[in-house]
Amino acid sequence: MIQLYNVSKAYQRESTALQEISLKIPKGEFVYLTGPSGAGKSTLLKLLYGAEQPSRGQILINGQNLTRMSQARVALLRRRIGVVFQDFKLLTRRTVFENVAFPLEIQGKKRFEVSKRVYQVLKQVGLELKLNRYPLTLSGGEQQRVSIARALIIDPLILLADEPTGNLDPGVASAIMNLLKDANARGSTVLVATHDRELLQMFPRRTLVLDQGQLAEDRNPWENEGAIF
Amino acid sequence: MLERLSYFFRRALGNIRQSPVLCSATVGSVAVALCLLAAFAIVVINVQEVARRWEGEVRVIAYLDQPPPREELTTLIRALEAQPEVAAVHFVNSEEAFRRFRERLQGSEDLVAGLEPSILPASLELKLNDKYRTPKEAKALAGRIEKRWGLTDLHYGQEWLQPFEAFLALLRLVGAVLGGFLLFAALFIVANTIKITLYARQDEVDVMVLVGATPLFIKIPFLLEGALHGALGGGIALVLSYLLYRVVLAEGLGAVLTGAGGRSILFLPWGFQLLLIGFGIALGVVGSMIALRRFVKF
Repeated sequence: MIQLYNVSKAYQRESTALQEISLKIPKGEFVYLTGPSGAGKSTLLKLLYGAEQPSRGQILINGQNLTRMSQARVALLRRRIGVVFQDFKLLTRRTVFENVAFPLEIQGKKRFEVSKRVYQVLKQVGLELKLNRYPLTLSGGEQQRVSIARALIIDPLILLADEPTGNLDPGVASAIMNLLKDANARGSTVLVATHDRELLQMFPRRTLVLDQGQLAEDRNPWENEGAIF
Repeated sequence: MLERLSYFFRRALGNIRQSPVLCSATVGSVAVALCLLAAFAIVVINVQEVARRWEGEVRVIAYLDQPPPREELTTLIRALEAQPEVAAVHFVNSEEAFRRFRERLQGSEDLVAGLEPSILPASLELKLNDKYRTPKEAKALAGRIEKRWGLTDLHYGQEWLQPFEAFLALLRLVGAVLGGFLLFAALFIVANTIKITLYARQDEVDVMVLVGATPLFIKIPFLLEGALHGALGGGIALVLSYLLYRVVLAEGLGAVLTGAGGRSILFLPWGFQLLLIGFGIALGVVGSMIALRRFVKF
């Protein structure tokens, strides 16, 4: 599903965010991306949803070469990629319903279809009673669930989460991770960038460790014990 | 397709509704620029109409100190009528000239009481064919007549027609330059309004990019917003220019031009009115495109 071949990303001459990263993530896998701050986790995720272009190397998503695509085709590919951020990135002037419906509106789905699907997904994340509320009237955990709902509504091939539990307390973080696990169980390939050690221990999965822009380790779930950084 | 279009329009109208003051300023700027252009156009159209009418009456008049004997006069008239530029030649004797002069003095005929018709010379009025009713052709014909038949006292409106045409050309130039500046200013304002709208909606644009909106999908509501600003501005400009025409131009310009032989003042023709609104729309769209090109990165 996700393949990187010798991918590097440099912002300026002296500043290399990623160096010669090669990896493969098969369809349906749940993978953590971890490392200290500044290791390149967010940069890698940005490359995967086309927000940045690599300085060198190739990225294949579902067999399509992201590095050779036009902006219009990248936009179409993004319709199958769900992204969740630490700061939620919700539209504060729109209701929960409108935020979750947004991706389907962009795709030109009919209103009836959109309403039905939005309700379904909000029920999945446990927010079906709050669809007319505005994001800022919700708790952090609820806002993150809305963000996840927006990512799930498109039945994503890939779900990318950048520090999804970063602003949340442990109880809420656990609930968020369960949603991501459920999405994975339904067939989405999930990649979670996090430096939360407890999370890695709570839900052990394959872990890619980045350090100073390089892929330091690629661990299977049972090698997660002990200090990584 | 219709649902998509309706979505784009709703987004554009939503943008406008959220910033009514900014929208009013933009529409106002477009309206002022186009209204001034329209007012200028009304002046130019009407002055051009007078010029056209005058040109239509361009003729060559050969004044005769002493009219020749009848036979010689008939031969001269036939020779002149044979010229390709000439449609007809009319001999105006002193009496007829005096009668016409008295008619022009309507109400002040006593100014010429006691004067003899012979104070005015006889003349040959050469009416020109349509194709040749220009100062240039009239001048060329006059030159030939002088050379060939020795008639020296020739008039074809050279004292006023050429300066008038030069004035008209200047008027058009001034209109074009002034119009250009005004349009540039309006374009700048539209572009800045859209830029400000984009700044205000940056979070929305970011999310649209994230969830797979194509660049065109993101741009269309802003282009429509620009077009709506322009159309509204054009419509207001049309109304304002009509008011200006009724209240100011019809009186002021009318007095000048009817004294110069014009009839009633014309408003902008239908085609021009539609062009004005179309121009407003184009202004709005181009302004938006400028803002989008620099601002929205994908």
